[in-house]
Amino acid sequence: DTAHVITQDTFDFKAYMLHKANTVNQALDAAIALRDPEKIHQAMRYSLLAGGKRVRPLLCIAACELVGGAEETAIPAACAVEMIHTMSLIHDDLPCMDNDDLRRGKPTNHKVFGEDVAVLAGDALLAFAFEHVAVATKGVAAARVVRAVGELAKSIGGEGLVAGQVVDIDSEGVSNVGLERLEFIHLHKTAALLEAAVVLGAIMGGGTEEEVEKLRKFARSIGLLFQVVDDILDVTKSSEELGKTAGKDLVADKVTYPKLLGIHESKEFADKLIEDAKEQLAGFDPLKAAPLFALTNYIAYRQN
Amino acid sequence: AASPSVASIRSKAANFDLKTYWGSLIVQINDKLDEAIPVRFPPQIYEAMRYSVLAKGAKRAPPVMCISACELFGGSRLAAFPTACALEMVHAASLIHDDLPCMDDSPSRRGHPSNHTIYGVDMAILAGDALFPLGFRHIVSHTPSDLVPEPYLLRVIAEMARSVGSTGMAAGQFLDLEGGPHAVGFIQDKKFGEMGECSAVCGGLLAGAEEDEIERLRRYGRAVGVLYALVDDIIEERFDVDGEIYGVEKAIEKAEELRAKAKEELDGFEKYGERVLPLYSFVDYAFDRSFSVDDASG
Repeated sequence: DTAHVITQDTFDFKAYMLHKANTVNQALDAAIALRDPEKIHQAMRYSLLAGGKRVRPLLCIAACELVGGAEETAIPAACAVEMIHTMSLIHDDLPCMDNDDLRRGKPTNHKVFGEDVAVLAGDALLAFAFEHVAVATKGVAAARVVRAVGELAKSIGGEGLVAGQVVDIDSEGVSNVGLERLEFIHLHKTAALLEAAVVLGAIMGGGTEEEVEKLRKFARSIGLLFQVVDDILDVTKSSEELGKTAGKDLVADKVTYPKLLGIHESKEFADKLIEDAKEQLAGFDPLKAAPLFALTNYIAYRQN
Repeated sequence: AASPSVASIRSKAANFDLKTYWGSLIVQINDKLDEAIPVRFPPQIYEAMRYSVLAKGAKRAPPVMCISACELFGGSRLAAFPTACALEMVHAASLIHDDLPCMDDSPSRRGHPSNHTIYGVDMAILAGDALFPLGFRHIVSHTPSDLVPEPYLLRVIAEMARSVGSTGMAAGQFLDLEGGPHAVGFIQDKKFGEMGECSAVCGGLLAGAEEDEIERLRRYGRAVGVLYALVDDIIEERFDVDGEIYGVEKAIEKAEELRAKAKEELDGFEKYGERVLPLYSFVDYAFDRSFSVDDASG
């Protein structure tokens, strides 16, 4: 197992992440041109190009390369996943939803362009994501692209992202939310799109059925892990360390893993998820799997 | 002058029983839509989605046109049903969002309370957000792979996404909200034109029509869609306001032009014989409204 240790020690994840984010940002910029009607396209670009770590596109590209595909094969799918992620944030921030004024330190879409345009910009990003995968993917058999479209659609609708959002809304102010329900919310609200990102990458890269399913499980584990770590940080870190208001979940009376399990058991659960995620990667070429190992560690051991 | 066979097709089209054809398709489409959106967990989002997609009295014009266009080229109806249903899903999603308080603020749609009036604004937004992808998912999971090759499906998906996106329906809604120097009816025309175009083109794509035939369907579908909206405007007397681009006479003239244009496009499908009859028949229906579609599905 020394191979893993060596790759993890020598792999420069930060440089990798910056490099891929740069590639993705250029592709996103090129994908949505400023055309008529200009205001909608401005609104789409405003949120899409607002920065962010591009974790989902990175997962998509890394999964594609892991199964032996070329980066450019996964770029349209990677962009599509980011467009959907952005769209869900725009709609989430609306006054009738979470009513947020700021996102990544900038005024939210509806604050700048108005609620009407924000709804339309979100809808347009959603539609364009599908158009982009269908039209811009090159060098992949049509059957695989069709399958990718199906996976993407499934992950964001009533069986995926939207289901998570609905149950989350239903659970606000409810005192007896159990573990099962909490897991449902996170698996759908967060993990589903991460899952789509890696599954699309693996499909575009020509992965086998077995590879696709391993990566699917991997994504579900890191999706939950992301949430558990977030919950733990919220109670253990100060606002200064987090760069956002600490203890927000407690004040908002939101159910979290530490509340349901306690800190100690939450940390154990996180460890279990890290182990599960890495187990799925174990069968792959360690060198090629290095980015996903590093990403798992990044999610697990981040301090904010 | 039209060739003898074109003239003969045109006269047969005048006698085509569109009411029966349309009515029987509505029943089948409604059944398939009902099956396509089963209530799962969490139930309220599925109920909100079903409420708008399965609204009583829906004419199902886009899916019917899609099926007719597919059958024109000898495509199977079974190949077209999933795309036909998807057209209704994405269309319903657009309408749900159009009605929102921050958009057109419509408390009702087709005589029923609008989606957010019943389910709340947050659920209405999410119902729309779920119906768009469900449309694409339905096409992928339900189109028989032995009837439609994947490259055709990809073109259908791209066409549908384009038509609801930032240069299609969303652009129409945006211009609507902006107001500005457009005539009443202009925006509806744009949205109906977009739906008509997309419906006809998708039908042709599913059946593997040639490029020039797809472009012909594109012009035909747009003309019929705009014609339909324009005649709605005429019937509902939306042209009596000062300062409009055209008055009612001009509107009727324009409708005549669109009817002629749509039929001319169909004349190009002469070699397909009587399979083109339903498409001709839609043009006259859009103009004459010779029967009530609500009665047709009996």
